[in-house]
Amino acid sequence: MSDALDSWFAREILVHEQALERYLRRCWPHRDDVHDLRQDIYVRVYEAAGKALPNAPKSFLFTTARNLMTDRLRRAKVVSIFSVGDFDGLNVLVEDVSPEREFSGRQALARLAEAFDRLPDRCREAVWLRRVEDLPQKAVAARMGVSEKTVEKHLAKGMRLMTASYYGGEAATSADATHAIDDDGCTNQQAD
Amino acid sequence: MTMDARTSRQIEDEAAAWLARRGGSSWTDRDTAEFDAWLAAATAHRVAFVRLESGWAGCARLKALGAGIPRGTIPARGQWAAPTPPDRAVRTAVPRTARAARLAGVLAVLAIGTAIGLGWRAWFAVEAASYATAAGEMRTIALADGSFATLGPGSVIDVRFTRRDRGVALARGEAFFTVAHDTRRPFTVAVGARRAVAVGTQFAVRRDPDEMRIVVTEGVVRLELQSAHRDAAAPSTLLTAGAVATARANSVFVRAGSVAEAERALSWRNGYLSFHDTPLAAAVAEFNRYGARPLVVGDAAVGQIRIGGNFRWSNSDAFVRLLEEGFDVRVDRQADRIVLHSR
Repeated sequence: MSDALDSWFAREILVHEQALERYLRRCWPHRDDVHDLRQDIYVRVYEAAGKALPNAPKSFLFTTARNLMTDRLRRAKVVSIFSVGDFDGLNVLVEDVSPEREFSGRQALARLAEAFDRLPDRCREAVWLRRVEDLPQKAVAARMGVSEKTVEKHLAKGMRLMTASYYGGEAATSADATHAIDDDGCTNQQAD
Repeated sequence: MTMDARTSRQIEDEAAAWLARRGGSSWTDRDTAEFDAWLAAATAHRVAFVRLESGWAGCARLKALGAGIPRGTIPARGQWAAPTPPDRAVRTAVPRTARAARLAGVLAVLAIGTAIGLGWRAWFAVEAASYATAAGEMRTIALADGSFATLGPGSVIDVRFTRRDRGVALARGEAFFTVAHDTRRPFTVAVGARRAVAVGTQFAVRRDPDEMRIVVTEGVVRLELQSAHRDAAAPSTLLTAGAVATARANSVFVRAGSVAEAERALSWRNGYLSFHDTPLAAAVAEFNRYGARPLVVGDAAVGQIRIGGNFRWSNSDAFVRLLEEGFDVRVDRQADRIVLHSR
């Protein structure tokens, strides 16, 4: 486990998160499981890459996703008719899954700006002062008139939501947003 | 996951808490130790943290939005829309029609520019050259598109490349082509009204007075025969690797063999002529393609003799000596030709 592996993981794997989530949502009958599936897939990919970096990271990611779903279906005592029906969808060609997502340029900035605007007020404020104005967290706390601990909570929430938009897909934009706006406490862990 | 009771969301929350805490003023060495222990405890921790850390780093791009906004001011929501140019991912405040018109304007300018550029190059930037080899000479030519043409002795090709197609006319003799792959510009070898069309492959085309021969050693070549009637679609034949096609005035004969066999028909490229149970008359015809002093079959019986083996085409004398020694052949060496008779 190294920084090199971490940056490889961000560069080659995380950039496909939107496509991966779309794929999982299409193939897996329970939307609630997607977050969990995604984590397990990342774990498998990361651990395998720690032994040897795959030559074709995107293919490897989707192959891992497919294998994981297959394993889970096999383990399930009761197999949902929907999951079986959708299973053909697992055999999509990786190249067809989605076009590459842009991580530079205007499109990416627009995506971030949109996500930023969907943050709850106080969370949005903390993110602006910390990330855009580069204020130390202590100064952010002073400016906002709250404790540094509270700033940390706002930021932690901001990090989750912003990352979901940065890497992830539409689910984060719609479901997270509705939830985020009526919860300004930044302590709730349940998001989408 | 099965070993861990916590959900992936809980792990993500923990990772976010660490990431936010680490940036605080109260971070201590003990926190570092605790954090390292947390990271090492499970790969799920590690990936969750790496993901948030790099995503958060990516958010630094938001700084671009801060330009022109006084420090300490939190901008109102929704004000990014206007200055952001039309983009697929943005829901801008600019009315759709205005946006479309602006986009159309930009596209039109681009299109005109591109059309002028491409058109100019397509129509005017023609690569044109002719290459010829003398009798007994063989030469490989590197073409402008990265393809190679190996000319057999006494051959002539005319090359006409444009940005849209790659045309070669075989005026005389034989040439072997290793075609650089380019799907947008088909590579065409014309022999009179017949055309062999390839995208990226290896094949040889030979022109004789009354026939054309194509040998394909790799990929696929489409042989097009020009139709007598202009409106009728030109009949075409697909030739795959290993095919040897012989086209005469009114017929095309395709022999689909192995690539090795096809290669043997092209052994001239290595300086050899390769025969396998070949009538002497045919072998002599081959030699005459390449050698300087023609061989002549003096009678029908000698032409029937079957021979096999590899012979240097530049050395027909050795071939003739072998015939003399090994077969019932009598050789009449004349100044301008060598006549073979049965003994």
